[in-house]
Amino acid sequence: MKNYIQLKRWTPTLVWIVGLLVIWEICSWFLLQVLQVPLAQSKLPYIHELMYTMLEYGSTLFSEGWVTFTNAAIGFALGAVVGSLLAILMSLSKWVEQLTFPYAVGSQMIPILGLAPIVYGIVHDDQLSRIIIAAYITFFPVALNVLRGLRCADPAAVELMHSYAAKPWSVYLKLRFPAALPGLFSGLKIAAPLAVTGAILVELMGATKGLGVIMLRNLYYGPSHNYMFWLTVIAGALLGIFSYLLITIIERIVSPWQPEFRSTGGDE
Amino acid sequence: MTITREYLPEIEFEHVSMRYQTDAAEVLALEDVSVHIQKGEFVSLLGPSGCGKTTLLRIMADLIQPTSGEVKIAGETAREARLAQKYGIVFQSPVLYDWRKVKQNISLPLEMMSMNKTEKEKRIHNLLELVGLEKFKDKYPWQLSGGMQQRVAIARALAMEPEILLMDEPFSALDEFSRERLNEELLSIWSKFGNTVVFVTHSISEAIFLSDRVFVLSPHPGRLSAIVEIDLPRPRTKEIRNSPEFYQLISDIRSSFEGV
Ligand SMILES: Nc1ncnc2c1ncn2[C@@H]1O[C@H](COP(=O)(O)OP(=O)(O)O)[C@@H](O)[C@H]1O
Ligand SMILES: [Mg+2]
Repeated sequence: MKNYIQLKRWTPTLVWIVGLLVIWEICSWFLLQVLQVPLAQSKLPYIHELMYTMLEYGSTLFSEGWVTFTNAAIGFALGAVVGSLLAILMSLSKWVEQLTFPYAVGSQMIPILGLAPIVYGIVHDDQLSRIIIAAYITFFPVALNVLRGLRCADPAAVELMHSYAAKPWSVYLKLRFPAALPGLFSGLKIAAPLAVTGAILVELMGATKGLGVIMLRNLYYGPSHNYMFWLTVIAGALLGIFSYLLITIIERIVSPWQPEFRSTGGDE
Repeated sequence: MTITREYLPEIEFEHVSMRYQTDAAEVLALEDVSVHIQKGEFVSLLGPSGCGKTTLLRIMADLIQPTSGEVKIAGETAREARLAQKYGIVFQSPVLYDWRKVKQNISLPLEMMSMNKTEKEKRIHNLLELVGLEKFKDKYPWQLSGGMQQRVAIARALAMEPEILLMDEPFSALDEFSRERLNEELLSIWSKFGNTVVFVTHSISEAIFLSDRVFVLSPHPGRLSAIVEIDLPRPRTKEIRNSPEFYQLISDIRSSFEGV
Protein backbone atom coordinates (compact mmCIF):
# COMPACT_ATOMS: atom_id res chain seq x y z
CA MET A 1 0.00 0.00 0.00
CA LYS A 2 2.73 2.41 1.03
CA ASN A 3 4.79 1.53 -2.04
CA TYR A 4 1.78 2.07 -4.19
CA ILE A 5 1.22 5.55 -2.72
CA GLN A 6 4.92 6.35 -3.18
CA LEU A 7 4.70 5.24 -6.78
CA LYS A 8 1.61 7.32 -7.33
CA ARG A 9 3.32 10.35 -5.87
CA TRP A 10 6.34 10.04 -8.12
CA THR A 11 4.51 9.08 -11.31
CA PRO A 12 3.84 12.66 -12.49
CA THR A 13 7.49 13.61 -12.00
CA LEU A 14 8.66 10.54 -13.84
CA VAL A 15 6.26 11.08 -16.74
CA TRP A 16 7.32 14.69 -16.88
CA ILE A 17 11.03 13.84 -17.09
CA VAL A 18 10.64 11.07 -19.66
CA GLY A 19 8.31 13.25 -21.74
CA LEU A 20 10.81 16.10 -21.72
CA LEU A 21 13.64 13.81 -22.85
CA VAL A 22 11.54 12.41 -25.68
CA ILE A 23 10.61 15.90 -26.90
CA TRP A 24 14.26 16.91 -26.67
CA GLU A 25 15.34 13.93 -28.74
CA ILE A 26 12.68 14.66 -31.39
CA CYS A 27 13.60 18.36 -31.59
CA SER A 28 17.26 17.45 -31.87
CA TRP A 29 16.53 15.07 -34.75
CA PHE A 30 14.33 17.73 -36.39
CA LEU A 31 17.07 20.37 -36.26
CA LEU A 32 19.70 18.01 -37.61
CA GLN A 33 17.82 16.00 -40.23
CA VAL A 34 14.84 18.08 -41.32
CA LEU A 35 15.92 21.71 -40.99
CA GLN A 36 19.59 20.80 -41.47
CA VAL A 37 20.69 23.74 -39.33
CA PRO A 38 24.47 24.22 -39.30
CA LEU A 39 26.07 22.96 -36.06
CA ALA A 40 22.72 21.50 -35.08
CA GLN A 41 24.25 19.22 -32.46
CA SER A 42 25.79 22.09 -30.48
CA LYS A 43 22.40 23.75 -30.41
CA LEU A 44 20.54 20.69 -29.18
CA PRO A 45 22.50 17.45 -28.98
CA TYR A 46 20.99 13.96 -29.11
CA ILE A 47 20.16 12.56 -25.69
CA HIS A 48 21.51 9.15 -26.66
CA GLU A 49 24.84 10.68 -27.69
CA LEU A 50 25.03 12.49 -24.36
CA MET A 51 24.35 9.24 -22.55
CA TYR A 52 27.04 7.48 -24.54
CA THR A 53 29.57 10.19 -23.64
CA MET A 54 28.36 10.04 -20.07
CA LEU A 55 29.19 6.34 -19.89
CA GLU A 56 32.68 7.03 -21.15
CA TYR A 57 33.55 10.16 -19.17
CA GLY A 58 31.19 9.85 -16.22
CA SER A 59 33.99 9.37 -13.72
CA THR A 60 35.79 12.52 -14.90
CA LEU A 61 32.59 14.52 -14.60
CA PHE A 62 32.02 13.12 -11.18
CA SER A 63 35.50 13.84 -9.84
CA GLU A 64 35.59 17.36 -11.28
CA GLY A 65 32.06 17.99 -10.04
CA TRP A 66 33.10 16.82 -6.60
CA VAL A 67 35.90 19.39 -6.49
CA THR A 68 33.47 22.15 -7.44
CA PHE A 69 30.93 20.91 -4.94
CA THR A 70 33.33 20.73 -1.99
CA ASN A 71 34.72 24.19 -2.65
CA ALA A 72 31.24 25.62 -3.06
CA ALA A 73 30.11 23.80 0.11
CA ILE A 74 32.97 25.15 2.21
CA GLY A 75 32.33 28.67 0.97
CA PHE A 76 28.62 28.22 1.45
CA ALA A 77 29.07 27.08 5.05
CA LEU A 78 31.41 29.98 5.72
CA GLY A 79 28.96 32.44 4.17
CA ALA A 80 26.07 30.97 6.18
CA VAL A 81 28.00 31.39 9.44
CA VAL A 82 29.11 34.94 8.60
CA GLY A 83 25.60 35.86 7.42
CA SER A 84 23.96 34.47 10.56
CA LEU A 85 26.44 36.20 12.87
CA LEU A 86 25.89 39.46 11.04
CA ALA A 87 22.13 39.04 11.39
CA ILE A 88 22.48 38.41 15.13
CA LEU A 89 24.64 41.52 15.54
CA MET A 90 22.19 43.58 13.53
CA SER A 91 19.25 42.31 15.56
CA LEU A 92 21.07 43.17 18.79
CA SER A 93 21.79 46.73 17.81
CA LYS A 94 20.12 49.17 15.44
CA TRP A 95 23.46 50.93 15.36
CA VAL A 96 25.25 47.93 13.89
CA GLU A 97 22.44 47.51 11.39
CA GLN A 98 22.61 51.10 10.20
CA LEU A 99 26.36 50.86 9.93
CA THR A 100 26.62 47.57 8.06
CA PHE A 101 23.40 47.17 6.14
CA PRO A 102 24.16 49.66 3.34
CA TYR A 103 27.52 47.95 2.77
CA ALA A 104 25.89 44.52 2.72
CA VAL A 105 23.42 45.72 0.11
CA GLY A 106 26.13 47.52 -1.83
CA SER A 107 28.29 44.42 -1.85
CA GLN A 108 25.61 42.65 -3.83
CA MET A 109 25.73 45.29 -6.57
CA ILE A 110 29.27 44.31 -7.56
CA PRO A 111 29.12 41.85 -10.46
CA ILE A 112 30.63 38.50 -9.54
CA LEU A 113 32.19 38.34 -12.97
CA GLY A 114 34.27 41.39 -12.12
CA LEU A 115 34.89 40.46 -8.52
CA ALA A 116 36.22 36.97 -9.18
CA PRO A 117 39.46 38.03 -10.94
CA ILE A 118 40.05 40.70 -8.30
CA VAL A 119 39.75 38.14 -5.52
CA TYR A 120 41.97 35.77 -7.45
CA GLY A 121 44.49 38.57 -7.94
CA ILE A 122 44.59 39.14 -4.20
CA VAL A 123 44.71 35.58 -2.87
CA HIS A 124 46.47 33.89 -5.82
CA ASP A 125 44.85 30.58 -5.04
CA ASP A 126 42.05 29.21 -7.16
CA GLN A 127 40.66 27.04 -4.42
CA LEU A 128 40.55 29.84 -1.89
CA SER A 129 39.03 32.29 -4.35
CA ARG A 130 36.24 29.81 -5.16
CA ILE A 131 35.52 29.49 -1.44
CA ILE A 132 35.52 33.24 -0.95
CA ILE A 133 33.17 33.87 -3.87
CA ALA A 134 30.74 31.16 -2.71
CA ALA A 135 30.79 32.64 0.80
CA TYR A 136 30.31 36.12 -0.62
CA ILE A 137 27.25 35.03 -2.56
CA THR A 138 25.80 33.15 0.41
CA PHE A 139 26.14 35.62 3.26
CA PHE A 140 23.68 38.20 1.96
CA PRO A 141 20.47 36.18 1.49
CA VAL A 142 21.25 34.36 4.74
CA ALA A 143 21.83 37.57 6.71
CA LEU A 144 18.68 39.15 5.32
CA ASN A 145 16.41 36.20 6.01
CA VAL A 146 17.84 35.36 9.42
CA LEU A 147 17.52 39.00 10.49
CA ARG A 148 13.89 38.98 9.53
CA GLY A 149 13.37 35.69 11.37
CA LEU A 150 15.02 37.03 14.53
CA ARG A 151 12.92 40.18 14.39
CA CYS A 152 9.59 38.57 13.61
CA ALA A 153 9.36 36.44 16.75
CA ASP A 154 5.79 36.79 18.06
CA PRO A 155 5.69 39.88 20.35
CA ALA A 156 3.47 37.99 22.80
CA ALA A 157 6.06 35.22 22.93
CA VAL A 158 8.72 37.82 23.72
CA GLU A 159 6.51 39.24 26.47
CA LEU A 160 6.09 35.76 27.87
CA MET A 161 9.88 35.49 28.21
CA HIS A 162 9.93 38.94 29.75
CA SER A 163 7.35 37.84 32.32
CA TYR A 164 9.64 34.99 33.37
CA ALA A 165 12.40 37.56 33.90
CA ALA A 166 14.38 35.65 31.26
CA LYS A 167 17.95 36.77 30.55
CA PRO A 168 18.55 38.24 27.08
CA TRP A 169 20.60 35.22 25.99
CA SER A 170 17.75 32.93 27.07
CA VAL A 171 15.38 34.90 24.88
CA TYR A 172 17.72 34.33 21.95
CA LEU A 173 18.40 30.70 22.69
CA LYS A 174 14.84 29.62 23.42
CA LEU A 175 12.82 31.96 21.26
CA ARG A 176 14.58 34.04 18.63
CA PHE A 177 16.89 31.37 17.23
CA PRO A 178 14.19 28.71 16.76
CA ALA A 179 11.86 31.37 15.35
CA ALA A 180 14.57 32.36 12.84
CA LEU A 181 15.14 28.81 11.56
CA PRO A 182 12.57 29.05 8.74
CA GLY A 183 14.25 32.30 7.64
CA LEU A 184 17.69 30.73 7.83
CA PHE A 185 16.59 27.89 5.60
CA SER A 186 14.94 30.13 3.02
CA GLY A 187 18.18 32.08 2.84
CA LEU A 188 20.18 28.87 2.50
CA LYS A 189 17.88 27.56 -0.22
CA ILE A 190 18.32 30.73 -2.26
CA ALA A 191 22.08 30.71 -1.74
CA ALA A 192 22.93 27.03 -2.29
CA PRO A 193 22.52 26.89 -6.10
CA LEU A 194 24.07 30.36 -6.42
CA ALA A 195 27.14 29.25 -4.48
CA VAL A 196 27.63 26.40 -6.96
CA THR A 197 27.22 28.74 -9.93
CA GLY A 198 29.65 31.17 -8.31
CA ALA A 199 32.27 28.47 -7.82
CA ILE A 200 31.93 27.38 -11.48
CA LEU A 201 32.30 30.97 -12.58
CA VAL A 202 35.58 31.32 -10.71
CA GLU A 203 36.79 28.08 -12.31
CA LEU A 204 36.08 29.51 -15.75
CA MET A 205 38.59 32.24 -15.02
CA GLY A 206 41.40 29.85 -14.42
CA ALA A 207 41.70 26.92 -12.10
CA THR A 208 43.27 23.51 -12.32
CA LYS A 209 40.33 21.37 -11.36
CA GLY A 210 36.57 21.65 -11.32
CA LEU A 211 33.50 21.55 -13.54
CA GLY A 212 34.18 25.04 -14.85
CA VAL A 213 37.62 23.99 -16.03
CA ILE A 214 36.42 21.10 -18.19
CA MET A 215 33.46 23.18 -19.33
CA LEU A 216 35.81 25.81 -20.73
CA ARG A 217 38.26 23.27 -22.16
CA ASN A 218 35.54 21.43 -24.06
CA LEU A 219 34.14 24.67 -25.33
CA TYR A 220 37.53 25.59 -26.77
CA TYR A 221 38.02 22.21 -28.38
CA GLY A 222 34.99 22.97 -30.54
CA PRO A 223 32.28 20.83 -32.07
CA SER A 224 34.15 17.57 -31.53
CA HIS A 225 33.82 18.01 -27.79
CA ASN A 226 30.28 19.29 -27.99
CA TYR A 227 28.69 16.41 -26.09
CA MET A 228 31.13 16.70 -23.22
CA PHE A 229 30.52 20.44 -23.05
CA TRP A 230 26.79 19.86 -22.79
CA LEU A 231 27.36 17.29 -20.08
CA THR A 232 29.37 19.75 -17.98
CA VAL A 233 26.56 22.29 -18.25
CA ILE A 234 24.01 19.66 -17.26
CA ALA A 235 26.23 18.47 -14.40
CA GLY A 236 26.47 22.07 -13.14
CA ALA A 237 22.69 22.38 -13.17
CA LEU A 238 22.27 19.04 -11.40
CA LEU A 239 24.79 20.10 -8.78
CA GLY A 240 22.71 23.20 -8.10
CA ILE A 241 19.52 21.15 -7.80
CA PHE A 242 21.29 18.62 -5.59
CA SER A 243 22.51 21.30 -3.16
CA TYR A 244 19.03 22.78 -3.00
CA LEU A 245 17.51 19.39 -2.21
CA LEU A 246 20.18 18.71 0.38
CA ILE A 247 19.21 21.90 2.24
CA THR A 248 15.55 20.92 2.00
CA ILE A 249 16.27 17.55 3.60
CA ILE A 250 18.33 19.13 6.38
CA GLU A 251 15.52 21.62 6.98
CA ARG A 252 13.02 18.83 7.43
CA ILE A 253 15.25 17.15 9.99
CA VAL A 254 16.18 20.30 11.90
CA SER A 255 12.80 22.05 11.99
CA PRO A 256 10.05 19.54 11.26
CA TRP A 257 7.54 21.72 13.08
CA GLN A 258 7.23 24.30 10.29
CA PRO A 259 3.74 24.85 8.89
CA GLU A 260 4.65 23.59 5.40
CA PHE A 261 5.70 20.19 6.78
CA ARG A 262 2.47 19.62 8.70
CA SER A 263 0.60 16.66 7.40
CA THR A 264 -3.05 17.37 6.92
CA GLY A 265 -4.57 14.57 8.94
CA GLY A 266 -4.16 10.83 8.75
CA ASP A 267 -0.94 10.25 10.70
CA GLU A 268 -2.59 9.45 14.03
CA MET B 1 -19.64 32.71 53.25
CA THR B 2 -19.15 34.17 56.71
CA ILE B 3 -15.46 33.32 57.07
CA THR B 4 -13.57 36.57 57.01
CA ARG B 5 -10.11 36.16 55.61
CA GLU B 6 -7.26 38.05 57.11
CA TYR B 7 -6.67 40.97 54.79
CA LEU B 8 -3.34 40.54 53.06
CA PRO B 9 -2.97 43.03 50.27
CA GLU B 10 -1.45 41.37 47.22
CA ILE B 11 -2.10 43.84 44.42
CA GLU B 12 -2.56 47.52 45.12
CA PHE B 13 -3.20 50.19 42.51
CA GLU B 14 -3.32 53.79 43.72
CA HIS B 15 -4.62 56.40 41.28
CA VAL B 16 -3.17 54.66 38.27
CA SER B 17 -3.57 56.34 34.88
CA MET B 18 -2.30 55.18 31.53
CA ARG B 19 -2.03 57.39 28.50
CA TYR B 20 -0.95 55.90 25.17
CA GLN B 21 0.85 58.24 22.86
CA THR B 22 0.57 57.38 19.19
CA ASP B 23 1.48 59.39 16.12
CA ALA B 24 -2.13 60.18 15.35
CA ALA B 25 -3.65 60.67 18.74
CA GLU B 26 -3.43 60.30 22.46
CA VAL B 27 -5.56 57.67 24.18
CA LEU B 28 -6.40 57.82 27.85
CA ALA B 29 -6.73 54.08 28.44
CA LEU B 30 -7.03 54.23 32.22
CA GLU B 31 -7.93 57.14 34.42
CA ASP B 32 -7.38 57.22 38.14
CA VAL B 33 -7.89 53.54 38.85
CA SER B 34 -7.43 52.33 42.39
CA VAL B 35 -7.87 48.64 43.13
CA HIS B 36 -6.94 46.47 46.06
CA ILE B 37 -6.81 42.74 45.59
CA GLN B 38 -6.38 40.35 48.45
CA LYS B 39 -4.02 37.42 48.61
CA GLY B 40 -5.70 34.27 47.35
CA GLU B 41 -8.61 36.17 45.88
CA PHE B 42 -10.15 35.41 42.50
CA VAL B 43 -10.97 38.70 40.83
CA SER B 44 -12.38 39.45 37.40
CA LEU B 45 -11.95 42.59 35.36
CA LEU B 46 -15.13 42.98 33.36
CA GLY B 47 -15.96 45.47 30.67
CA PRO B 48 -16.57 46.01 26.97
CA SER B 49 -13.59 45.84 24.68
CA GLY B 50 -11.44 48.93 24.64
CA CYS B 51 -12.11 49.82 28.27
CA GLY B 52 -8.54 49.16 29.36
CA LYS B 53 -8.71 45.65 30.85
CA THR B 54 -5.62 44.43 29.02
CA THR B 55 -3.82 47.65 29.87
CA LEU B 56 -4.58 47.15 33.56
CA LEU B 57 -3.36 43.57 33.43
CA ARG B 58 -0.18 44.52 31.60
CA ILE B 59 0.58 47.17 34.19
CA MET B 60 0.16 44.55 36.93
CA ALA B 61 2.55 42.26 35.11
CA ASP B 62 5.13 45.02 34.59
CA LEU B 63 4.90 44.60 30.84
CA ILE B 64 4.15 48.32 30.61
CA GLN B 65 4.56 51.16 33.09
CA PRO B 66 1.68 53.48 34.01
CA THR B 67 1.86 57.18 33.17
CA SER B 68 1.05 58.03 36.76
CA GLY B 69 0.02 56.39 39.99
CA GLU B 70 1.52 53.70 42.15
CA VAL B 71 1.49 49.92 41.84
CA LYS B 72 2.46 47.62 44.68
CA ILE B 73 2.62 43.85 44.51
CA ALA B 74 2.84 42.34 47.99
CA GLY B 75 4.59 45.50 49.11
CA GLU B 76 7.12 45.47 46.26
CA THR B 77 7.11 47.20 42.91
CA ALA B 78 5.68 45.31 39.94
CA ARG B 79 9.18 45.09 38.48
CA GLU B 80 10.57 43.47 41.61
CA ALA B 81 7.69 41.03 41.60
CA ARG B 82 8.34 40.14 37.97
CA LEU B 83 12.05 39.64 38.58
CA ALA B 84 11.13 37.40 41.52
CA GLN B 85 9.10 35.33 39.03
CA LYS B 86 5.83 35.80 40.89
CA TYR B 87 3.64 35.95 37.77
CA GLY B 88 2.03 33.36 35.60
CA ILE B 89 0.34 34.83 32.56
CA VAL B 90 -2.20 33.36 30.18
CA PHE B 91 -2.84 35.48 27.10
CA GLN B 92 -5.89 35.59 24.87
CA SER B 93 -4.12 33.34 22.36
CA PRO B 94 -2.16 30.38 23.73
CA VAL B 95 1.26 31.70 22.57
CA LEU B 96 2.78 28.24 22.50
CA TYR B 97 6.17 27.75 20.90
CA ASP B 98 5.67 25.85 17.64
CA TRP B 99 8.99 24.03 17.89
CA ARG B 100 8.25 22.59 21.30
CA LYS B 101 6.07 19.63 22.10
CA VAL B 102 3.38 20.03 24.74
CA LYS B 103 5.59 18.89 27.63
CA GLN B 104 8.45 21.10 26.44
CA ASN B 105 6.15 24.10 26.27
CA ILE B 106 5.12 23.47 29.86
CA SER B 107 8.72 23.14 30.94
CA LEU B 108 9.72 26.49 29.39
CA PRO B 109 9.29 28.58 32.56
CA LEU B 110 11.01 25.89 34.62
CA GLU B 111 14.09 26.30 32.42
CA MET B 112 14.34 29.85 33.74
CA MET B 113 14.63 28.57 37.31
CA SER B 114 17.28 26.42 38.84
CA MET B 115 15.52 23.14 39.32
CA ASN B 116 16.87 19.63 39.07
CA LYS B 117 15.76 17.31 36.34
CA THR B 118 13.75 14.82 38.36
CA GLU B 119 11.82 17.53 40.16
CA LYS B 120 11.17 19.27 36.86
CA GLU B 121 9.86 16.09 35.29
CA LYS B 122 7.67 15.38 38.26
CA ARG B 123 6.16 18.82 38.12
CA ILE B 124 5.50 18.59 34.39
CA HIS B 125 3.84 15.25 34.92
CA ASN B 126 1.59 16.69 37.64
CA LEU B 127 0.67 19.66 35.48
CA LEU B 128 -0.17 17.44 32.51
CA GLU B 129 -2.41 15.42 34.78
CA LEU B 130 -3.99 18.57 36.19
CA VAL B 131 -5.05 19.83 32.79
CA GLY B 132 -5.83 16.33 31.50
CA LEU B 133 -3.27 16.23 28.70
CA GLU B 134 -1.01 13.31 29.67
CA LYS B 135 -1.84 11.56 26.44
CA PHE B 136 -0.86 14.57 24.38
CA LYS B 137 2.45 15.39 25.99
CA ASP B 138 4.44 14.46 22.88
CA LYS B 139 2.23 16.32 20.42
CA TYR B 140 3.10 19.60 18.81
CA PRO B 141 0.77 22.56 19.55
CA TRP B 142 -0.75 22.56 16.07
CA GLN B 143 -1.89 18.99 16.61
CA LEU B 144 -4.22 20.12 19.44
CA SER B 145 -7.61 21.81 19.46
CA GLY B 146 -7.93 25.43 20.60
CA GLY B 147 -9.22 24.38 24.02
CA MET B 148 -6.34 21.96 24.53
CA GLN B 149 -3.83 24.60 23.49
CA GLN B 150 -5.24 26.97 26.06
CA ARG B 151 -5.00 24.23 28.69
CA VAL B 152 -1.32 23.85 27.84
CA ALA B 153 -0.96 27.61 28.28
CA ILE B 154 -2.61 27.35 31.71
CA ALA B 155 -0.34 24.49 32.74
CA ARG B 156 2.66 26.52 31.58
CA ALA B 157 1.49 29.55 33.56
CA LEU B 158 1.15 27.38 36.68
CA ALA B 159 4.51 25.70 36.23
CA MET B 160 6.44 28.24 38.29
CA GLU B 161 3.75 27.95 40.97
CA PRO B 162 3.22 31.68 40.69
CA GLU B 163 1.75 33.72 43.49
CA ILE B 164 -0.27 35.68 40.98
CA LEU B 165 -2.02 34.27 37.94
CA LEU B 166 -3.00 36.84 35.33
CA MET B 167 -5.38 35.72 32.59
CA ASP B 168 -6.41 37.93 29.69
CA GLU B 169 -9.64 36.62 28.13
CA PRO B 170 -8.13 33.14 27.99
CA PHE B 171 -11.29 31.42 26.83
CA SER B 172 -12.81 34.07 24.58
CA ALA B 173 -11.78 32.25 21.40
CA LEU B 174 -13.50 29.04 22.47
CA ASP B 175 -17.03 27.84 21.99
CA GLU B 176 -19.53 28.14 24.85
CA PHE B 177 -19.29 24.45 25.80
CA SER B 178 -15.52 24.31 26.08
CA ARG B 179 -15.52 27.63 27.85
CA GLU B 180 -17.89 26.48 30.58
CA ARG B 181 -16.00 23.24 31.06
CA LEU B 182 -12.69 25.10 31.30
CA ASN B 183 -14.24 27.55 33.79
CA GLU B 184 -15.02 24.62 36.07
CA GLU B 185 -11.56 23.14 35.56
CA LEU B 186 -9.97 26.47 36.31
CA LEU B 187 -11.82 26.72 39.62
CA SER B 188 -10.78 23.24 40.64
CA ILE B 189 -7.15 24.02 39.75
CA TRP B 190 -7.33 27.28 41.67
CA SER B 191 -8.73 25.51 44.72
CA LYS B 192 -5.59 23.36 44.74
CA PHE B 193 -3.11 26.18 44.22
CA GLY B 194 -4.89 28.97 46.10
CA ASN B 195 -2.99 31.71 44.27
CA THR B 196 -4.32 35.16 43.54
CA VAL B 197 -6.06 35.24 40.17
CA VAL B 198 -6.88 38.29 38.06
CA PHE B 199 -9.10 37.20 35.21
CA VAL B 200 -10.03 39.50 32.34
CA THR B 201 -13.28 38.82 30.52
CA HIS B 202 -16.08 40.53 28.70
CA SER B 203 -18.56 37.82 29.64
CA ILE B 204 -20.74 38.73 32.62
CA SER B 205 -21.65 35.14 33.46
CA GLU B 206 -18.07 33.95 33.24
CA ALA B 207 -16.97 36.71 35.64
CA ILE B 208 -19.71 35.83 38.13
CA PHE B 209 -19.16 32.10 37.96
CA LEU B 210 -15.44 32.37 38.67
CA SER B 211 -14.91 35.32 40.95
CA ASP B 212 -14.97 36.46 44.54
CA ARG B 213 -15.27 40.01 43.30
CA VAL B 214 -15.94 41.53 39.90
CA PHE B 215 -14.35 44.86 38.98
CA VAL B 216 -16.51 46.54 36.37
CA LEU B 217 -14.70 48.92 34.05
CA SER B 218 -16.26 51.54 31.80
CA PRO B 219 -14.67 52.88 28.63
CA HIS B 220 -13.44 56.26 27.34
CA PRO B 221 -11.59 56.82 29.49
CA GLY B 222 -11.13 53.46 31.26
CA ARG B 223 -12.46 53.83 34.78
CA LEU B 224 -13.44 51.52 37.58
CA SER B 225 -17.20 51.93 37.72
CA ALA B 226 -18.29 49.28 40.21
CA ILE B 227 -17.03 46.48 42.41
CA VAL B 228 -19.49 43.61 42.80
CA GLU B 229 -19.11 41.02 45.56
CA ILE B 230 -20.03 37.54 44.40
CA ASP B 231 -21.19 35.72 47.52
CA LEU B 232 -22.10 32.47 45.81
CA PRO B 233 -20.92 29.45 47.79
CA ARG B 234 -17.83 27.50 46.77
CA PRO B 235 -17.06 24.99 45.40
CA ARG B 236 -19.15 26.15 42.47
CA THR B 237 -20.64 23.67 40.08
CA LYS B 238 -22.43 24.22 36.81
CA GLU B 239 -25.84 24.00 38.55
CA ILE B 240 -25.11 27.35 40.14
CA ARG B 241 -25.53 28.98 36.73
CA ASN B 242 -29.26 28.25 36.96
CA SER B 243 -29.78 29.60 40.47
CA PRO B 244 -31.87 32.75 41.05
CA GLU B 245 -28.90 34.35 42.85
CA PHE B 246 -26.84 33.94 39.70
CA TYR B 247 -29.48 35.65 37.59
CA GLN B 248 -29.81 38.40 40.16
CA LEU B 249 -26.08 39.08 39.96
CA ILE B 250 -26.21 39.17 36.16
CA SER B 251 -28.93 41.79 36.22
CA ASP B 252 -27.11 43.75 38.96
CA ILE B 253 -23.98 43.95 36.86
CA ARG B 254 -25.94 44.79 33.71
CA SER B 255 -27.54 47.70 35.45
CA SER B 256 -24.17 48.89 36.69
CA PHE B 257 -23.19 49.18 33.01
CA GLU B 258 -26.29 51.17 32.23
CA GLY B 259 -25.46 53.58 35.02
CA VAL B 260 -22.51 54.96 33.11
N1 LIG C 1 -0.09 49.99 22.56
C1 LIG C 1 -1.11 50.84 22.42
N2 LIG C 1 -0.96 52.01 21.78
C2 LIG C 1 -1.99 52.87 21.66
N3 LIG C 1 -3.21 52.67 22.13
C3 LIG C 1 -3.46 51.53 22.79
C4 LIG C 1 -2.42 50.54 22.95
N4 LIG C 1 -2.93 49.50 23.65
C5 LIG C 1 -4.23 49.81 23.87
N5 LIG C 1 -4.54 51.03 23.38
C6 LIG C 1 -5.85 51.70 23.48
O1 LIG C 1 -6.19 51.77 24.83
C7 LIG C 1 -7.56 51.46 25.02
C8 LIG C 1 -7.69 50.28 25.97
O2 LIG C 1 -7.16 49.13 25.34
P1 LIG C 1 -7.11 47.70 26.04
O3 LIG C 1 -6.44 47.84 27.34
O4 LIG C 1 -6.50 46.75 25.07
O5 LIG C 1 -8.65 47.39 26.25
P2 LIG C 1 -9.41 46.00 26.45
O6 LIG C 1 -8.40 44.95 26.80
O7 LIG C 1 -10.39 46.27 27.53
O8 LIG C 1 -10.10 45.69 25.17
C9 LIG C 1 -8.14 51.21 23.66
O9 LIG C 1 -8.79 52.37 23.23
C10 LIG C 1 -6.95 50.91 22.81
O10 LIG C 1 -7.15 51.34 21.49
MG1 LIG D 1 -7.97 43.11 25.83
